[in-house]
Amino acid sequence: MKTKQRTGARALVEALERVGADIVFGYPGGNVVDVFDELSRAPFRFVLGRHEQGCVHMADGYARASGRPAVVVVTSGPGLTNTITGLGAANMDGVPMVLVCGQVPLDQIGTDAFQEADTTGLTRAVSKHNFLVHSADEIPETVAQAFYIATHGKPGPVVIDVPRDCQQALTSAAYPERVFLRAYHPEVSATAAEVARLAKLVNGAKRPVILAGGGVIASGASEDVAAFAHKAGIPVATTLMGIGSFDETDPLALGLVGLHGEFAANAAIAEADVLVALGVRFNDRVTGRSPAKFARRAKIVHVDCDPASINKNVTVDLGITADVKELLMTVDSRIRPAAHPDWIASINARRRPRTEGLRPLHRGVIMPQTVVESVYGATDGRAIVVTDVGQHQLWAAKRFRHTCPRHFITSGGMGAMGFGIPAAIGAALAKPAAKVVAFLGDGGAQMTAEELMVASELKLPVTFIVFSNGSLGLVRQMQRHQCGGNYFATDLRSPDFVKLAAAYGVRGVRVADGAKLDAAIARAVRSKSPTLVEVVVDREAEA
Amino acid sequence: MKEEIHRLNCYVENKPGVLARIVGLISGRGYNIQTLNVGPTEDGTVSRMRIDVLGSARVVQQIILQLRNQVSVIEVTSRRL
Repeated sequence: MKTKQRTGARALVEALERVGADIVFGYPGGNVVDVFDELSRAPFRFVLGRHEQGCVHMADGYARASGRPAVVVVTSGPGLTNTITGLGAANMDGVPMVLVCGQVPLDQIGTDAFQEADTTGLTRAVSKHNFLVHSADEIPETVAQAFYIATHGKPGPVVIDVPRDCQQALTSAAYPERVFLRAYHPEVSATAAEVARLAKLVNGAKRPVILAGGGVIASGASEDVAAFAHKAGIPVATTLMGIGSFDETDPLALGLVGLHGEFAANAAIAEADVLVALGVRFNDRVTGRSPAKFARRAKIVHVDCDPASINKNVTVDLGITADVKELLMTVDSRIRPAAHPDWIASINARRRPRTEGLRPLHRGVIMPQTVVESVYGATDGRAIVVTDVGQHQLWAAKRFRHTCPRHFITSGGMGAMGFGIPAAIGAALAKPAAKVVAFLGDGGAQMTAEELMVASELKLPVTFIVFSNGSLGLVRQMQRHQCGGNYFATDLRSPDFVKLAAAYGVRGVRVADGAKLDAAIARAVRSKSPTLVEVVVDREAEA
Repeated sequence: MKEEIHRLNCYVENKPGVLARIVGLISGRGYNIQTLNVGPTEDGTVSRMRIDVLGSARVVQQIILQLRNQVSVIEVTSRRL
C-alpha cells in the first residue's frame, strides 16, 4: 500500500501514533535527531530520562502498571549500550516494549563510525526480537511487526535499529492493515484431551495447590484464578512475579513461595498431591537447586503460553501450552465444587502469624519490616508498590498484603539494581490517579538517583522510601551465612539523601526515631509532589 | 542422561542476522555445535540450516522448542544420528 510521501522519521512517528502510543520515553543523540524532530510534533507525550537505563526502566514501569506496550527512543552507540540492563530486565519478566534506536548511516555500518555499535548483536540476548531497518520503506511495517511481537505470545522487548539515512529518506510505504509474520504463530490453546486431564486431576485431588505466576497477570486472568480456586477449594501460592495475581487477604492465599517464601506455602507445595502451576517458569528461586525434588509428591500440571518453558526446569505430568485465562474459562464447567477442609486446616496450622518476629525496634533502631507495615497502613494497602532489588524487595513482597494485579512492580528475573526509582516514575505516569510508593535500598538508590530529576520536573507524587542500613544488605546477609561473616565490599557510604533529594527539587526527610516513622510516612504519601523518606534501619535485619 | 548427536533441520528466513541468532541461541546456553551447514532453498526467501548438536534428548528438545519460538524460524525437525 502506498501513501503520501514523507521521511522515514515521519513514517516512524506516524506508526507509533497508529499503535496508540501515549507516552514515549527516551534520550536524544546525533543519529536519532531526525526522529526527535518529528517527535516534537507528535500528539503523544515525550518524557526525557536522565540516562538511557533510566528511560528503559521507566518504560518498563509504565508497561507493568498499565499492561500496555511501552516505547523508548534512544540514539546509537552509547545510547543503545546503556539500555542493555533495562532490556534484560524487561525481557526476563516478559514486559512488552518497543525500543527504537538510531544507527549510523547504512554505508557506515561496520566501519567503526562515531557512536556506532552493533545493535542487533548486542541486544540479541536481552530482547525478544530485533530488527535492523535497511530502507525507509521498511519502517511502517517493521514498527507494526515489532508491536505485534512485543505483545503476542510471551510479551517482551523488541528493538528496531534505524540507520540515520533511512530516517531521512523519503517513502510512501503505508502502515500495514494486518501484520503477517509467516514464521511466528504464538497463538496457542489447549486440546480437549488436555482440558479433560486437567479437570480429572483437579477433581480427584486430595491436597491440591495452585501456584500462580507473572503469566496470570500478563494474561489478565486474576479473576479467573480466584474463581477456580474458590470453586475447587484450592489454596494459592504465588511466585515473586505472581504477587498481586491473587488477593493475599483471601483465606486461601498462601503468599510467596520459594527461597524467600512463606513456610506454609513451601510446606503445602512439598505435600501437595496435585500442583496446578499457572503462568510460571519454575525459576531456581522457586524450586531450589534440585528441581526434581520440587513438589515431589504431586502430579504437576504446568500451564504456560510459552511452549519452551514446559519441562524446561521441572518435569511435569501434564504440560499445557495455552493462555491461562482462556484455559481456566474452558475448564471451569468441568470442575466440581470442593472444599478440602482437612487439607486447608493442616496448611493453616502451619501458618506463622504475620507479626511473628516483627519488632518495631531493635536496640532502638527501626526494623525495616515496620516501614513496610507503616506504608501499608498509610495507603490503606492500595498503593502501587515498586521496589528496587535486595532485602527491601523481599520485605516489600512479604510484609505488604498485595490484593490486585499490576500493583507490585519489581525486577524479578534479572534482579536489576537501579530499577526502582525510574520504574516508579513510569508507573506514576501510567497511573496518574494512583499512589506510587518506591521501596529502595541505599545501594540501588545510588544507581539511578539521577532520575529523581524527572519526578521533580514532572511533579509526580511518588513517595521514595530509602531503607538506609549503610550496607548492601542482601549480599552482606549472604556473607554472614556463607562466608563466615567476612564482610567485604558491602559496607556502603552514602550521600546525605535528604540533601541529594533537595538538589533535585524533591522534598526529603530523614527518620531515625521509630516514634516519628508513621507520621513522616503518612505525610509523604499524602504529598502531591515527589517526596523522599530516608529511614535509618537496623543493618542486622534479615530478609 | 545419555548424550547423542542430534541433527536439526531448520528452515529460516533468509535474512541477515538469522544465522547469528540461531547459533547464539545454541552456544549461549553452553552447547557446542558439531557441524553447521547453511544454504538457500529453491524459495530464495528461505534458508535451510543443518545443525548437529551433542546433547541429551531433553536438552535437544529444549533447543528445538526455543528455536521454534524465534520469529525468524519457520520450521524445525530433528533426528538422532
